[in-house]
Amino acid sequence: MLVPSLLCLAAFAYYPALTSFRFSFLHYNVKAPAHVFFSGLADYVAVVIDPEFWLSVRHVLYFMAAGTIFVTLIALATGLLLNERFPGHKALRSVVIIPWAIPPIVNGYLWKWIFDGDHGAFNGLLYQIGLIGHYQHWLVHPFMALNIAMFTFVWRYVPFVSVLFLGALQSIPDSLYEASKVDGANAFQQFLHVTIPALLRIGGVALVLTLIASFSVFDEIYALMGFDESTLTPMMYNYQMTFVNGDFGVGAAMAYLVGAVLLTLTIPYIRMSLREDRG
Amino acid sequence: MKRDTLRVQHVIGSLLVLFWTLAPILWVLISSLSTQAELYSVPPHWIPHHPTIGAYDKVLVTGAGFRGGGGISAAVLMRLGLRNSFVIAVFATLCVMFVAPMMGYAYSRLRFRGRELFFYLTLAIITVPGWPVLIGLFSEYSHLGLLDTKLGLIVLSFTYRLPFETWFMKGYFDAVPGEIEDAARIDGCSIFQTLYRISIHMVMPGLIAVAIISFLFTWNLFAPALVLTYTLKAKPITVAMTEFISQYYVNWDLMSAGTIVALILPVAISVIFQRYIVRGLTAGAVKS
Repeated sequence: MLVPSLLCLAAFAYYPALTSFRFSFLHYNVKAPAHVFFSGLADYVAVVIDPEFWLSVRHVLYFMAAGTIFVTLIALATGLLLNERFPGHKALRSVVIIPWAIPPIVNGYLWKWIFDGDHGAFNGLLYQIGLIGHYQHWLVHPFMALNIAMFTFVWRYVPFVSVLFLGALQSIPDSLYEASKVDGANAFQQFLHVTIPALLRIGGVALVLTLIASFSVFDEIYALMGFDESTLTPMMYNYQMTFVNGDFGVGAAMAYLVGAVLLTLTIPYIRMSLREDRG
Repeated sequence: MKRDTLRVQHVIGSLLVLFWTLAPILWVLISSLSTQAELYSVPPHWIPHHPTIGAYDKVLVTGAGFRGGGGISAAVLMRLGLRNSFVIAVFATLCVMFVAPMMGYAYSRLRFRGRELFFYLTLAIITVPGWPVLIGLFSEYSHLGLLDTKLGLIVLSFTYRLPFETWFMKGYFDAVPGEIEDAARIDGCSIFQTLYRISIHMVMPGLIAVAIISFLFTWNLFAPALVLTYTLKAKPITVAMTEFISQYYVNWDLMSAGTIVALILPVAISVIFQRYIVRGLTAGAVKS
């Protein structure tokens, strides 16, 4: 039974990866199937000298940095709250998880409606409070659009990281808090010297996972902005290059360049988790 | 330290969390029950004066007011999309549920040559990023005739869930003692009998988590489905609704109804099985 499963993995994961590796050295546009030839590193060069590609890299770096900071802080606060015992804390836990379960593409459309320039609830709310005199088209401002896309990711990803933090918080023995209390620590000192150290390890895993996830966002951006330049990230640009423009050669080269960078994130994650396995 | 007491910061915190989580969903739900006139008033009616289920009727039953590519009505689009999603998610989940425990069991219990190597080869798939595989998979599928088929998406979903879930199940098997199994083996059970009659019961919570997370993963899949399907023969709801919405970008009442229809199942599952999901996610990220 192991053998057929491994064959399946080989056939539908390893083999296609090798196929596209081959593409990355070909001049290959599906719209011109007659003109396929070996082109060496030309596809890679085409990616590296493409200013659009570097723009997308700058976007995603901002997206990852800001997204990860917000996810970590909000999830930490939520995790701490969920770890408290008060009437209704279990029900709260069920509610918190909801955004995680929503299909990301649906999440994108949900916020597209809320931030809609003509009838959106965000406009309605600000207008009613009196913060804006008339409705704004938020997604038209490039930097605003990037931030809104980042926000939709944060909203979807906070539950997952909250749950990770909650798991770590629950594994702190009460006796540790009692001991520190006996030693005269106040609540803030307890947080600093008991809670934070206990969260460091899971925090590392959460950080890496959030970086990977924020890098990989596709669905929300697709729903909100399509392939608009203001929110173009390598994930979006790679799709556009390959499946809209039909350039499988350059697309595959980009996928490998970007994938190689992404490996520097996924491999530490696997190693961290494997270490936990053993210890 | 911990007592069941309600302090003021709990109330404030809970209200913030509830607003943060539920307000957007609630607004879409309200939008789906409003008439377009009320929705488009400035500022909008937060609570509709004349609630209606007309949008759902159009989106699921009559399909009035929309003819997409090829004259497909909104209702057909949504219904076929839902059906495809359901078929794909159920079959992918069943396959993962069947195979992941077996592989996890093998990696945890059995001693065979190349075990470490195979285990790392399985895990390595987790590190493989999406586009390099998907670009190759597209051309592979076009040769195999798997483009625009439900089977193609089932295979893809299975292939990408299996490494995670195998790893997860292995952790579960590692955590339960092997003595009972040894006794069963001595009594003459084969490996498969031991696995399905005895061991599986001890890792049931893990298996449920595997099933739920696989189902949600498959249901929510978008980018690969966007690449690999192009007709309603195989398009899942996530892809089908993009067509619906891009044609419909002004009719937000209908779109809201579509949004609610697409998210109701995963959200219901996550609320009902919250306990298993929390355990599965935690263990999935870091083994404990």
